Amino acid sequence: MGGGFRVLHLVRPFLSFLPEVQSADRKIPFREKVIYTVISLFIFLVCSQLPLYGIHSTTGADPFYWMRVILASNRGTVMELGITPIVTSGMVMQLLAGSKIIEVDNNVREDRALLNGAQKLLGILIAIGEAVAYVLSGMYGSVGQLGVGNAILIILQLCFAGIIVICLDELLQKGYGLGSGISLFIATNICENIIWKAFSPTTINSGRGAEFEGAVIALFHLLITRTDKVRALREAFYRQNLPNVTNLLATVLIFLIVIYFQGFRVVLPVRSKNARGQQGSYPIKLFYTSNMPIILQSALVSNLYFISQLLHRRYSGNFLVNLLGKWKESEYSGQSIPVGGLAYYITAPSSLSDILANPFHGLFYIIFMLSACALFSKTWIEVSGSSAKDVAKQLKEQQMVMPGHRESNLQKELNRYIPTAAAFGGICIGALTVLADLMGAIGSGTGILLAVTIIYQYFETFEKEKASELGFFGF
Amino acid sequence: MVRGSSQSQASSGTTSRPGIAGMAPRGSAAATAGMRRRRLGSGSSSDMGGGGGSGANMLRFYTEDAPGLKISPTVVLVMSLCFIGFVTALHVVGKFYRYRSEA
Repeated sequence: MGGGFRVLHLVRPFLSFLPEVQSADRKIPFREKVIYTVISLFIFLVCSQLPLYGIHSTTGADPFYWMRVILASNRGTVMELGITPIVTSGMVMQLLAGSKIIEVDNNVREDRALLNGAQKLLGILIAIGEAVAYVLSGMYGSVGQLGVGNAILIILQLCFAGIIVICLDELLQKGYGLGSGISLFIATNICENIIWKAFSPTTINSGRGAEFEGAVIALFHLLITRTDKVRALREAFYRQNLPNVTNLLATVLIFLIVIYFQGFRVVLPVRSKNARGQQGSYPIKLFYTSNMPIILQSALVSNLYFISQLLHRRYSGNFLVNLLGKWKESEYSGQSIPVGGLAYYITAPSSLSDILANPFHGLFYIIFMLSACALFSKTWIEVSGSSAKDVAKQLKEQQMVMPGHRESNLQKELNRYIPTAAAFGGICIGALTVLADLMGAIGSGTGILLAVTIIYQYFETFEKEKASELGFFGF
Repeated sequence: MVRGSSQSQASSGTTSRPGIAGMAPRGSAAATAGMRRRRLGSGSSSDMGGGGGSGANMLRFYTEDAPGLKISPTVVLVMSLCFIGFVTALHVVGKFYRYRSEA
């Protein structure tokens, strides 16, 4: 290696302080894995309901509202930061390593350890930084109101919660649990939301007497209490402002469609060069990049929203700021919604009738979603090292060839499928998100798509684990 | 026995295994090593999954051993529960304290 100064080495002094979950020194049985996963999930759920101690108020517009879906965070609770620290640090590190700003030699053990350490350290630093920023910016009331002691306590709680999330994630990753902590937490958060919207027993008075928030409960409540059953049914199916049965059905439908599409794949046969008769297959899925385009797209959009909202609050008269986005407080939730500018056009129309009223908005939104998803998907395979070139290299390292093709042809052959699968898969994911949004599925299209893809991945892991377990005990 | 295990692996193998396809650059060496090890044990047919989630792989950060403050998984869980208990205690004490100071 070139020697000299390397940024990565700055991390070394901190390595010994970073918490590190021991790797499993034995094979963890399936049952135990399930137990670990369930306990981690339980901790996460409790943390995302437990209010922070010492906060004054959490009312008013929430600038992070749009990010909460992908960050598994809940306002005013210990999980305020959710998985933000891990995800941000992971993305930053991967970008830095991918763009060769910090050099990492994957074949050197120490380098990998240092990169891991750097990622974790950055995660903890981000947690501290965000906690301080939240408190100082007055999200829980100004520091004067809170008192210095409480302010420090809030920062400590948020930091420690961040560290706990990092540890839980590592625990699950290291083979004690199933899948990855981050995706587990995202999916749980979204599913919790959906279940709540379907069965919430909270009553809300919207002028026509008390109504239940949960769609299913409201359906029965209306059917029982109203005398005109047909009107009651119509009310339950089409009521606005509160989740209705149509939304619930749309959610279920999207779930089914996504799962159906997950099965689409092209299987390329491969054969080992040195072990005779060893055959294999290399499936290229339609959803080659899985939910990555959606995550990137919503990260982009929510950052844009955040900036636009901040700017709009300060300089609402400026022409350029208005071009970026105009915001208005919604009368129902007190939540800011975009009503003009770029931010408005990349927001999903609220319903089909909204599209008819504003065809240009609908068209722009659809085109934006599809092209952004396709583009992100194609970029992602390059960044993450799953492009045709990388796959060909890895197959070659494992001495695998495609029967009927020369070795030099492998990349060309893969190139026929992988970019297409990535781009088309991205478009499909985007289209499904649009569809979910238009049908008014509960928890936004992005959320549902994320949840379904994650759950499907979990399902696959589950099956695999069970299969290998059975094989293990000699079936 | 060995045969049985390889069969069941192959049947499940069509589903995505976080393997070759979408490994993040960092993990690829380890991943290939893992594949190799796994393949040694299996018999005539081995199916290499992949093609699946580069999405999943982005969300896969700490998978390797690094030097550091070693803690066992139980400690992590206990630590989290203690944290939850601590915050709850803070709430209780806070309520109590406010009640006393108001009275």
